[in-house]
Amino acid sequence: MLRLSNIHKAYGSRERPVSVLADVSLTVDDGEFCAVLGPSGSGKSTLLNIVGLLDRPCAGEMVLGGTTISHDSAQTTARLRNRLLGFVFQSFQLLPRLNAWQNIAMPLMYRGVPRGERKGRALEMLERVGLSERADHLPSQLSGGQCQRVAIARALVGEPRLILADEPTGSLDSATAGEMIDLLGALNRELGMTIVMVTHDRDLAQACGRRIELLDGRVVADSAAA
Amino acid sequence: MSARRTLLPDAPLGETFAEAFANLRAQGRRSALALLGILIGTASIIAMLNVGHMAQRESLKLFSDMGVDMLQILAVPTGEAAAGFPREAVERLPQSDPAVAAALPLATGRGPVRSSRKQTDLSIVAMPPGLVRLARLPVAEGRSIAAIDDCGFGAVLGHKAAEQLSAPGAAAGVGSRVLVGDYGFTVIGVFAPVVAETLDPTDYNNAVFVPLSCARRVLPGADPNVAMIRLKPGVDGEPAGQRIIAALARPGSSLQAMNAQRILQTMNAQKAVHSRMLAAIGAISLLVGGIGVMNVMLMSVMERRREIGLRAAIGATPRDVQALFVIEAAVLTLVGGVVGTLFGLLAGYAIAVSSGWDFGLAVWTLPLGPGVAGLIGLVFGLYPAITASRLDPIEALRAD
Ligand SMILES: Nc1ncnc2c1ncn2[C@@H]1O[C@H](COP(=O)(O)OP(=O)(O)O)[C@@H](O)[C@H]1O
Ligand SMILES: [Mg+2]
Repeated sequence: MLRLSNIHKAYGSRERPVSVLADVSLTVDDGEFCAVLGPSGSGKSTLLNIVGLLDRPCAGEMVLGGTTISHDSAQTTARLRNRLLGFVFQSFQLLPRLNAWQNIAMPLMYRGVPRGERKGRALEMLERVGLSERADHLPSQLSGGQCQRVAIARALVGEPRLILADEPTGSLDSATAGEMIDLLGALNRELGMTIVMVTHDRDLAQACGRRIELLDGRVVADSAAA
Repeated sequence: MSARRTLLPDAPLGETFAEAFANLRAQGRRSALALLGILIGTASIIAMLNVGHMAQRESLKLFSDMGVDMLQILAVPTGEAAAGFPREAVERLPQSDPAVAAALPLATGRGPVRSSRKQTDLSIVAMPPGLVRLARLPVAEGRSIAAIDDCGFGAVLGHKAAEQLSAPGAAAGVGSRVLVGDYGFTVIGVFAPVVAETLDPTDYNNAVFVPLSCARRVLPGADPNVAMIRLKPGVDGEPAGQRIIAALARPGSSLQAMNAQRILQTMNAQKAVHSRMLAAIGAISLLVGGIGVMNVMLMSVMERRREIGLRAAIGATPRDVQALFVIEAAVLTLVGGVVGTLFGLLAGYAIAVSSGWDFGLAVWTLPLGPGVAGLIGLVFGLYPAITASRLDPIEALRAD
């Protein structure tokens, strides 16, 4: 599903590069539910952004869903994101002007799916995340947990190969956070959805089949390798 | 993926239009302000084109009776003696000059004219019979001057001249007597009112007409001082005028040629100045409007960075993002263009009414206004759109 080989990433000037990821190699198989753990600043988000094709590594190779990623053209990577990936963000990132189902349907628009079909598929996803009766609510009329459910539905709607979640529970109270992890776990078990989730909460990470630990830009522990 | 797929946005255009409308509505007043420059620009251009169109029609109307082939030669005295040129030379012009179709000599002046009860200053026109046809003078009463009249002391009155010479119980009309200078004439006819035209040598309505051979009695000079010439169709009036002036020149008189073509040209040139001014106002307004639209779009891009980042994350291609903002700018200016066109037509109508013209719509200007405005939107929307498509999605998503 996903293979990273010797990924390096540094920020800063060419003369004084600040290394953020150093020689990261790992493989994620289809159907895995991975937690990426590590203290703040350890490079978790950077890693997720590289996997999410939002950022490019300075060195190393990446194969995603059978495609070797080149970052040659922004058009092509955008289409790969649309086809292969679903994102869940800490701050939900819903468009306030659009209601729940319209937010969920957005990725389908960039695939040219007709409006009627988009709505049907968005409503299916809403049902999947248990929010059927909120289809016409605006984000401002939803609770944090409900917003994140809508965001998860949006990540799912395009039937991606991989869902990337960067601290999806970071803005939620612990009870709601637990519910969210349960939902992601259910999607993983029932749909076989591959999920990579960044968190710094070790308790929540217990629900994940695999835990990868980063420290200063290096993988220091990987439960799959243990 | 084919090249076509790479050049075009992936999202359906119709949907992007719908989004653009929704976004603009959400921005409300700011969108409306951005429209203003576009609106004024379009309005002035549409007004200019329609006013130009109407002015053209009106100026052609001025010559519609006599046509644009008329040439008038006027003799102005350079010294004490009366100005003029030889009558025979004028009458010979159709034979002597290849550009001339017809030529009439006239002698004109002003002087006191008296009826039994009234006295007034009037234009005096000593005319050959042909003037009636050339100037389309309609006879209301009696008859006009004929070739056999010679100087038989028969006169014809213009419509207003007859009124001025009339007194209660003593109407000036056919059969009444008038004194032109020291000579008594019998009124043989009265002309109906005529609409003044640009090349009339005098105001026909306020004139008394006598046979040309009477000129030496009632006017300071015996010779004609005006030649009214009809050119052959398609002849250039300028060189013909110069040639005829040379042929008629005589010491003591300075000759001037006025031709309808030249007058039309002068009027058109004046109009062109006005048009250019309106065009400049329009262009500047459109430019300012365009920059305003660009500014609003740039602000919108900055405010919607998170949205742009999100769209990029869920698979909007750079083209999709560009299309969204370019179309937003184009929709904005298009609305301005449509409203501006309406205002422009309204302004054109107001100008027509205040100038006493018939309102006439230049239909081809209708699509032009929104078209130009939309184009401005595309051009000035491009930069903000490209800016939006080049945002780094990670940073954009982090924006507050
Ligand atoms: N755009 C950037 N420019 C410079 N440094 C950055 C940038 N993004 C991240 N970093 C640095 O990279 C390191 C890792 O950041 P990040 O991946 O966000 O960590 P985490 O998500 O684990 O908290 C941090 O020290 C951060 O300051
Ligand atoms: Mg982070």
